[in-house]
Amino acid sequence: MRPPVLLLTTLLGILLALSGAPAGAEYGDVVLNKRAEKEGVRPVVFPHWFHRIRFRCKVCHNELEFKMRAGANDVLMADILDGKFCGMCHNGRIAWGPENCDLCHSGKPGLPTGILGGHGTSGPGRW
Amino acid sequence: MKTNPIILAGIIFGVLTGSAMTAEPSRGKAVYESNCIACHGTGVAGAPKVGDSGRWSVRIKSGMAALYASAIKGKSAMPPKGGNPALSDDDIRATVDYMVAQSGAGKPSPAASTAKPAAAKGAAPVEKAEISRPDPVGAAVTTAAPLVPPAMAASEVNRFNRLLMPVGRRHPPPAEDGIHDPSNDATHVLQPPLDAYTGFPPGPAGNGVDWVKTLEQGKIKPRYDRKDPNAAPVVMDLNIVREVKGSMPDVVYPHKQHTEWLDCSNCHPAIFIPQKGANQISMAQILLGQKCGVCHGKVAFPVSECRLCHSKKKPMGVAQTGKN
Ligand code: HEC
Ligand code: HEC
Ligand code: HEC
Ligand code: HEC
Ligand code: HEC
Ligand code: HEC
Ligand code: HEC
Repeated sequence: MRPPVLLLTTLLGILLALSGAPAGAEYGDVVLNKRAEKEGVRPVVFPHWFHRIRFRCKVCHNELEFKMRAGANDVLMADILDGKFCGMCHNGRIAWGPENCDLCHSGKPGLPTGILGGHGTSGPGRW
Repeated sequence: MKTNPIILAGIIFGVLTGSAMTAEPSRGKAVYESNCIACHGTGVAGAPKVGDSGRWSVRIKSGMAALYASAIKGKSAMPPKGGNPALSDDDIRATVDYMVAQSGAGKPSPAASTAKPAAAKGAAPVEKAEISRPDPVGAAVTTAAPLVPPAMAASEVNRFNRLLMPVGRRHPPPAEDGIHDPSNDATHVLQPPLDAYTGFPPGPAGNGVDWVKTLEQGKIKPRYDRKDPNAAPVVMDLNIVREVKGSMPDVVYPHKQHTEWLDCSNCHPAIFIPQKGANQISMAQILLGQKCGVCHGKVAFPVSECRLCHSKKKPMGVAQTGKN
């Protein structure tokens, strides 16, 4: 029978992911580092858990047109200062403004762009 | 111009740290865990499993350069760069080094080194560094989780739960989570997840929060509109049952819980054609981050929670009698 084999691989994968995961990033944290480090600032860490307490997914992924794929958005600091992307909210009115560089640029140097979060995350969205 | 000093500090910091980071083995590990583990952790689609020294030592005979090239350009079922074009070639090389080292195939065995010494040269020091580590789990802990007490003494090795992560170590505060830079003052200003989650109905995995119940019970009131705190979501209550062959319970896909958070256009038509049964969905796709896996395993509850999706028992008597 085929399903049991599949089931086994599935479970195995999950077990592996479970055991291999260090006490790392919170589930759903996204690192944005397409440009940041090349331009001499730390990578950006975007916490989903923190924002989903305050906003539905739809606000960012529909209204603000953040593509639901880590690394798919070309975010420039100039755009943010212009009120786009993170700057739609981080403008000193809905949330604190862009002058707080280090609150966003808080990642360890060398982190690759992508979504993190311990067990269960299996790479970037592929669709 | 009051931000100038901060910018300057940022830049200096970047320059100071920038040069040291390229060869860091933990980078290969991080890329592997976020981009390659789906296939190479499980062996899905014929991918050589990390840890399977037999299968890797065969491949390494063609030289590290060839492996790098395959991973960068893609090979049969493997998309270029594992499907993440945002990764740089250096990321990929560091990751391949890591994978080879973890598979015990990177040992400078005569076969590997005589085949293409020139090609393997560049990668050799990294492999050695990796190999000298006592064991993969130990390595994982030391590189990525500085909060583990440095002296993992002999008694710790035989800890009762060796691999089960103690509750206290899940959802660590930003400064200890391995991705935030603890030397950044602002890191210490960020909210620790567990502070935010107090009072939320617990969930089994992911954030350890049952987000559906948290929302239902009004513990959180996430805005549906960026500015208007009173805008109400357009919720659609339509369940779609997807029959599953074999013994797994059928999948019930609920529009209600999803439209609480998402807009129709987040799923239709890019991910799912809005017609019952019109979409081919399989667990393999989900594990690879397609279909339901676009969100589940990323931000919504992870794939390990089989029962939340496979929630409809099969109407078959005999096989189920042993159930409690
Ligand atoms: C609200 C969060 C946020 C704040 C605050 C913020 N940034 Fe950024 N910044 C980002 C994001 C997101 C990116 C894109 C990262 C990437 O893809 O590499 C970025 C990218 C950058 C880049 C590289 C891209 C480019 O446009 O050159 C630089 C340099 C930069 N930020 C500097 C700063 C400085 C200096 C400050 C403080 C004055 C600052 N940032 C404040 C979120 C922020
Ligand atoms: C405050 C804005 C915001 C909210 C709210 C938000 N996201 Fe995101 N999301 C982002 C950003 C920013 C990224 C990273 C995009 C990038 O890297 O270019 C992202 C990335 C993603 C990705 C891509 C991950 C991958 O594998 O590539 C998924 C899936 C996702 N979000 C799902 C969700 C879901 C589900 C919710 C609601 C529970 C949600 N998001 C709420 C801003 C948001
Ligand atoms: C969608 C599944 C998938 C993902 C994701 C994936 N691989 Fe692979 N990989 C494969 C398969 C399948 C093969 C075997 C290809 C063959 O030999 O036909 C393979 C083979 C390889 C090989 C050996 C190539 C050779 O020439 O023998 C390397 C090295 C490799 N992968 C590295 C990576 C790295 C690094 C990543 C992450 C950035 C990654 N893979 C992500 C499926 C995947
Ligand atoms: C839909 C609006 C919205 C968008 C878009 C948004 N944020 Fe936020 N963000 C907020 C609000 C509201 C807060 C809470 C501010 C406060 O605590 O005063 C916040 C807080 C934060 C925090 C601090 C979390 C903490 O622990 O206190 C970080 C870091 C952050 N955002 C990063 C980002 C980045 C990076 C982006 C873009 C990729 C982004 N945000 C986009 C609304 C938004
Ligand atoms: C999280 C993703 C998601 C969201 C958001 C979503 N849908 Fe769906 N929808 C699905 C899936 C999955 C199916 C089942 C497709 C299948 O069976 O092949 C479906 C099926 C449908 C169908 C076909 C039902 C039938 O009986 O043929 C309609 C109509 C539909 N959706 C409308 C909507 C509308 C309207 C919204 C917004 C209010 C919405 N969907 C939001 C995932 C979603
Ligand atoms: C666009 C993102 C997205 C996609 C695609 C998606 N989901 Fe979800 N799903 C969510 C979010 C967000 C929640 C809220 C719970 C959470 O975040 O853990 C949720 C909740 C659920 C729940 C409710 C669990 C409960 O406790 O009531 C089920 C069941 C579910 N999803 C099944 C599916 C299935 C099956 C598919 C594929 C056909 C799918 N989802 C596709 C984002 C998504
Ligand atoms: C996010 C929702 C979701 C979760 C979580 C989930 N599944 Fe599935 N599963 C599905 C969907 C959707 C299908 C496709 C059903 C169909 O054929 O239409 C499926 C199909 C299957 C199948 C049939 C074979 C195949 O690959 O299509 C098996 C076996 C299976 N799942 C096992 C599991 C196991 C074991 C777990 C837990 C480790 C699990 N599933 C977790 C949604 C889920």
